[in-house]
Amino acid sequence: MTAVLTRPVEAPAVHRRKNATSIVVLIVAGVYFLVPLAAAIWFTVQDKVHGGVTGEYYTSIPRAEGFAGALRRSLSLAVLSVLGVLLVTVPAMLAVTLRLPRLRPLVEGLSLLPLVIPPIALVAGVRDMLALGPDQLAGTPFGDALVSSQDPELPIILVVVYIVLATPFAYRSLDAGIRAVDARTLVDAARGLGSSWFDVVWRVLLPNLRGAVLGAAFLTLGLVLGEYTIAGILLFETLPTWLVKISGANGQLSVSVSTASLLFTWLLLLVVSLADRRPTSRSER
Amino acid sequence: MRSLADRARRCGPWLAVAPFLIVMAVGLVLPVVALAAGAFEGDSIKSSFSSGYRTAFWGSVKLSFVCAVLGAVAGVLVARAVLSGGALLRRLVLTASGVLANFGGVPLAFMFIATIGNAGVVTSLLRDWTGFDLGDSPFSLYQFGGLAVVYLYFLVPLMVIVIAPALDGVRAEWSEAAQNLGATRAQYWRHVGGPLLAPPVAAGALLLFCGSLSAFATAQAMVGGTVPLVTLQIANALSGNVSPDNAGVGAALAIEMIVLVAVVMAAYWTIERRTARWLR
Amino acid sequence: MSALGVRMLGIRRSFGAVHALDGLDLVIEPGELVALLGPSGCGKTTALRVLAGFETADAGTVRVGDRDITGLAPNKRDMGMVFQAFSLFPNLTAADNVAFGLRVRGVDGAARRKRAADLLELVGLGQAGRRYPHQLSGGQQQRVALARALAIEPRVLLLDEPLSALDAQVRVQLRDEIRRIQQRLGITTLFVTHDQGEALSVADRVGVMRAGSLEQLADPDTLYHRPATPFVGEFVGTMNRLPGVLGADGMVRVLGADRRVAEGSDAAPGDVVVLVRPEAMTLTASDGGTALVVVRTFHGALTRLSVRLGDGDEALVDLPSPAAAGIRPGDTVTVGVGEGSVLVAAADAAAPALRPV
Repeated sequence: MTAVLTRPVEAPAVHRRKNATSIVVLIVAGVYFLVPLAAAIWFTVQDKVHGGVTGEYYTSIPRAEGFAGALRRSLSLAVLSVLGVLLVTVPAMLAVTLRLPRLRPLVEGLSLLPLVIPPIALVAGVRDMLALGPDQLAGTPFGDALVSSQDPELPIILVVVYIVLATPFAYRSLDAGIRAVDARTLVDAARGLGSSWFDVVWRVLLPNLRGAVLGAAFLTLGLVLGEYTIAGILLFETLPTWLVKISGANGQLSVSVSTASLLFTWLLLLVVSLADRRPTSRSER
Repeated sequence: MRSLADRARRCGPWLAVAPFLIVMAVGLVLPVVALAAGAFEGDSIKSSFSSGYRTAFWGSVKLSFVCAVLGAVAGVLVARAVLSGGALLRRLVLTASGVLANFGGVPLAFMFIATIGNAGVVTSLLRDWTGFDLGDSPFSLYQFGGLAVVYLYFLVPLMVIVIAPALDGVRAEWSEAAQNLGATRAQYWRHVGGPLLAPPVAAGALLLFCGSLSAFATAQAMVGGTVPLVTLQIANALSGNVSPDNAGVGAALAIEMIVLVAVVMAAYWTIERRTARWLR
Repeated sequence: MSALGVRMLGIRRSFGAVHALDGLDLVIEPGELVALLGPSGCGKTTALRVLAGFETADAGTVRVGDRDITGLAPNKRDMGMVFQAFSLFPNLTAADNVAFGLRVRGVDGAARRKRAADLLELVGLGQAGRRYPHQLSGGQQQRVALARALAIEPRVLLLDEPLSALDAQVRVQLRDEIRRIQQRLGITTLFVTHDQGEALSVADRVGVMRAGSLEQLADPDTLYHRPATPFVGEFVGTMNRLPGVLGADGMVRVLGADRRVAEGSDAAPGDVVVLVRPEAMTLTASDGGTALVVVRTFHGALTRLSVRLGDGDEALVDLPSPAAAGIRPGDTVTVGVGEGSVLVAAADAAAPALRPV
């Protein structure tokens, strides 16, 4: 699934006319998007045995078998992925912007490449690559690394793949932030005043990129918590794969967990979108 | 005479880029290479064109095409409707779209199953109130139609996000200038508005096409093996449901998918770059 | 084709509680270029848009020649408009842009292309027909916009701050060209601007607007030397605001002398503000003077002296440079008001909110 985060859209000063079609469209859209959500919530609070409503399908979530483990795994993967994405992309982008501009096409190209590879195709390749570990690469450090990255309790291989998947969005977010802040000028000014490279990055650039960094972090978080394809094919038990596993046996519970995680992820992404707001005043007259 | 600090300074930027390159190599390049190696092994490519897989490919393309067209039209309508409303509605919908466009997979599937699935809330309500049984209608959530309805849930917001800047970029001065010069609204759309918006709308449709094509989790969670889709077939092949001498067919299918998506995305990026010139 | 005149009478237009146009009466003679000048929010753009048909007046009539066009749609008014910026169709070449009006009128291809080429030649862009708007500079785009507006041989030419988005140098060059072309074609024109220098140099008559209506509509000379109201006096050119006392006899005492009150003055006897142009002030060096020279700026033929008066007010005095030769900042001087009548305003009248550029 391709998801794109574009730059925030400013409202033009000119007011357009409303008409009947617009209203109809908005009503239909409203129904289409809100009814399933309401239905899902209603589905999870129905008490089919006694009639009426019940919260048991929410309160019983923590006790459900496998939930704790799956949640723990998902959360640790998420944290590691977020850290990973930031530690990998931020230094690279700063280095390219400030010192190695000739690498920009390569870095930018690589950051867009994951958008061209459907996750299911990527995981097929990852599996083939992992198969090399105990096989052709047995005994080599890389081969051993491949093998140990598949520890079911903490699969590092997933972290690596998640970093790859998150990179296009992290790159977009950080790139926008770096441009907006005019990193080049800030660096020149700081260095001109005698600052070391470390200080420049730590004290000058990162504080100004806080919004972009947080945006990238939250997007990665949302991505990891909802990611099913890679984890599922590689047979790891994260929250989404656990969800599908129990869905056969317990419909209402699986929908309640999924609705809860959905609302949580939405909240996260909402925070991103709102934090991404820039002053919007473009007057035309 | 190179001091240590000097050498560190020169290496610094490269050290900063290294983790990025390593992660991309291990997580992206190497898997794709491994995939290619597996795909070109033996008869895999040829067997990936056998009738079963061809049906799946065709099914995916058909579904993606329909979703792209429906999603593009709906997205433009919604974006237009929203942009003509107040600033509050606009902010609300654009933010919501940003969130929904990233939404999909398992929770989305379950949400719709809970709504219009066999035991869904709306299904039951319809049956109880109007006697109309969704199960008897030609529509089924577990067939192509249902998948399309579900996919639109993240495709339409994606289109809204993609087309909103273009719609905003259509300046009022253009339609006013056209009127001033004597054109009717139809003439304006034919000569100016249409040609300007056609490329971004097409680009959006291409993006939606790729999005639908690549979707796996949603389809898996909803239909399992009943609908012929390439992504489901690849998963099938990966879980070993193929004959031993077709082991590489999953890889072959995956490579073919990548090629298709790459071509469509290339077209998307070409169009996108051209329109950026005109609109703003 | 002979030119037609424009009569806008009693135009009112409100947006909610804001009265953008409050009883505007504007008459443009055939072949004349009238500039509408005023601070932002005065209604000048709204007036132009009412004439163009993009706004509908709440009351009043709009006539072009003998025809009442008040209710006519904008695409039927046969007017050409140049917008402030960004009005060229980005997907069409310059030539196609210019030919657009002809195309929608059904003029055939060859005739269209010829006319477009002629007009581009007229605005000095004969070679640029094949280029797209994004390949043209701001000044070039506005020339194309002008050519496009003229292509349909409109009866009225409307210019909505056409130069405001351009660099200073381009602005001056282009405004002279617009005026030349307008005079050559003899086309009735309405030119909206907030730049008084532009208005005064380009127009046959200038209308100074304020809060939705015209304060004065006259040729530049009259506007400058015989402003109808204190607002016009201060908006056009520079005015000193000096304290004075107005007697019941039509004379006002200012800087130690009595002067007659000019027409257009608007104040009751008592303490008033006297408006005097810098070049109408007198200044002599004198050790016992009550005023102090603060800043001296050389402007070629004139030298401007900024002077602090005895009571703390500041005044500007323009002297021919030879006369200002020996005067330096720090010198004490005596300032006064030259002979002639002076414009007087009420003591609490505020200075125009926006000093003209």
